[in-house]
Amino acid sequence: MSKILIQNLHKLYNPNKPNAFYALKNINLIVENGEIVILKGVSGSGKSTLLSLIGGLSKPSEGKILVNEQNIAKLPDIMSSAFRHQEIGFIFQSFNLLEGLSVYQNILAPLALTTLSKEAIHENVNRAMQLANIEHKKDQNVGSLSGGERQRCAIARAVVMNPQIILADEPTANLDKENSLMFIEILKKFKLLHKTVIIATHDILFDDLDCIDRCVHMRDGELVE
Amino acid sequence: MSIFLSNEIIVFLLIELILIVLMAISQVNIVRIVRHWDFNATTPLQYALEKKNYLVNTILYFTVTCKVILFLFFIQSLNALAGIVPGAMCSAGVVGSNHYGNALLLLKLLLIFGFGLWLIVNKLDLASITFPYLKRKYILFTLLFVGVLGEFVLEILYFSNIPLTVPVFCCSVVFQAPRLPFGYTQTLLVLFFYLLFGSILLLNYLKQTMASFTCNLLFLFIAYYAITYFFGLYIYEMPNHKCPYCMLQKEYYYIGYLIWGSLFLGIFFAIMPFLIEQITKKSYVYLLKYSSYCLMITALVCTFYVVRYYLMTGVFL
Repeated sequence: MSKILIQNLHKLYNPNKPNAFYALKNINLIVENGEIVILKGVSGSGKSTLLSLIGGLSKPSEGKILVNEQNIAKLPDIMSSAFRHQEIGFIFQSFNLLEGLSVYQNILAPLALTTLSKEAIHENVNRAMQLANIEHKKDQNVGSLSGGERQRCAIARAVVMNPQIILADEPTANLDKENSLMFIEILKKFKLLHKTVIIATHDILFDDLDCIDRCVHMRDGELVE
Repeated sequence: MSIFLSNEIIVFLLIELILIVLMAISQVNIVRIVRHWDFNATTPLQYALEKKNYLVNTILYFTVTCKVILFLFFIQSLNALAGIVPGAMCSAGVVGSNHYGNALLLLKLLLIFGFGLWLIVNKLDLASITFPYLKRKYILFTLLFVGVLGEFVLEILYFSNIPLTVPVFCCSVVFQAPRLPFGYTQTLLVLFFYLLFGSILLLNYLKQTMASFTCNLLFLFIAYYAITYFFGLYIYEMPNHKCPYCMLQKEYYYIGYLIWGSLFLGIFFAIMPFLIEQITKKSYVYLLKYSSYCLMITALVCTFYVVRYYLMTGVFL
């Protein structure tokens, strides 16, 4: 069960330099297990920085990020990587797929270093492809996919390790309305699966959705009511 | 000609200097880390120290590993110097050309053991989320850094005192009567070698870390003399050739690397569990098993040469 507790979180870029600035200032936030939370705010408001801190991609300058009562900001790099691998699924704005590989191979990538059997790996990849509705393209090279298909491939890759927490950074920024609605359908599946999801977006499509539990607004690195 | 103009010494001292500069930079940061470290704090200072700790660890891991590898290069460099030191036929003549040589070699060996200990404690520290051995690890490194500075001073003294005009003694000393420890004869020395070897195997089997630690320190001393003054004769098949270095050469199929390497590794694995216990309170007795394997290789290879010589000639040297 992954409850996320953020206390007194600050992120200062370029410390001790003339161009030092706070990307995040005194963030306090609780995300309950199974909750879907939207982080809203204009570009530069600190949404992506907050996501990268929650995902253990970078370290804060001050404060705590507790996931399952473990302060992930304190994890050594090697353990931070293991935490990300097992607990977090990332969905990026630019998808970050491995060009030249097929859909199946891209989704399989996070499982490559696990000790799972071939059958278990195959089963996990199939489950993830079904969830993201991309199994019909499994042998196709990702370079030949449409934007929406690439997005679904990225989603399948994010969930293939069956993480409890899913972080999505501007997931619909590169999608048309039809594909954005398809993403929302997948979001509803996450809700049914009781996943904890945090989405950083400024897309109005997410306003007033039933599956969204909470919308948190950010401005100049701070949470605003 | 100056010894400092030889290629090997230029490369060796340059690498040493770079490593010392890296260690000195780390040492400055270590003082700050040790003084202000509080793992439970979530302040900007603590996070900055954690970042710095990561950097320092990476630098130290690199430098310590380089120092271990550099030891082998040092041995090779000594052998290369034999060509320009009059009278020296191998590293023995170069090391013994002044009274700093043997002290330097001993200090290097102790530092290698120290670096090995540091690498293990570092590994244990990084394997835990809370860095429980951070302060002890850095105190150990500080001691080693002092040793490295002393080593560098000794290196300069040693290299600058190698005579290039006066012939030095090398394997010619072999015609003198050997100066064995405690006035031992060769037979007593070999008996003591096998007795200690047997005791170590037993102590390792019984997982007696402290006793094994003590026995191994004594064994290091005895084995050095036994290999040089007894087993070496059978490796070289010459009754008067008592040299610990020539067996490292091609003529003897580099067998010295196996003999000395397995001996030092065996002793390293035997003394580490006791030292690690003192520093971390963690049991590392499984290393004793590796110690036994390594020392068995040393003893078997040494014994093989004696048996082979006896079977070929029907006499002992």
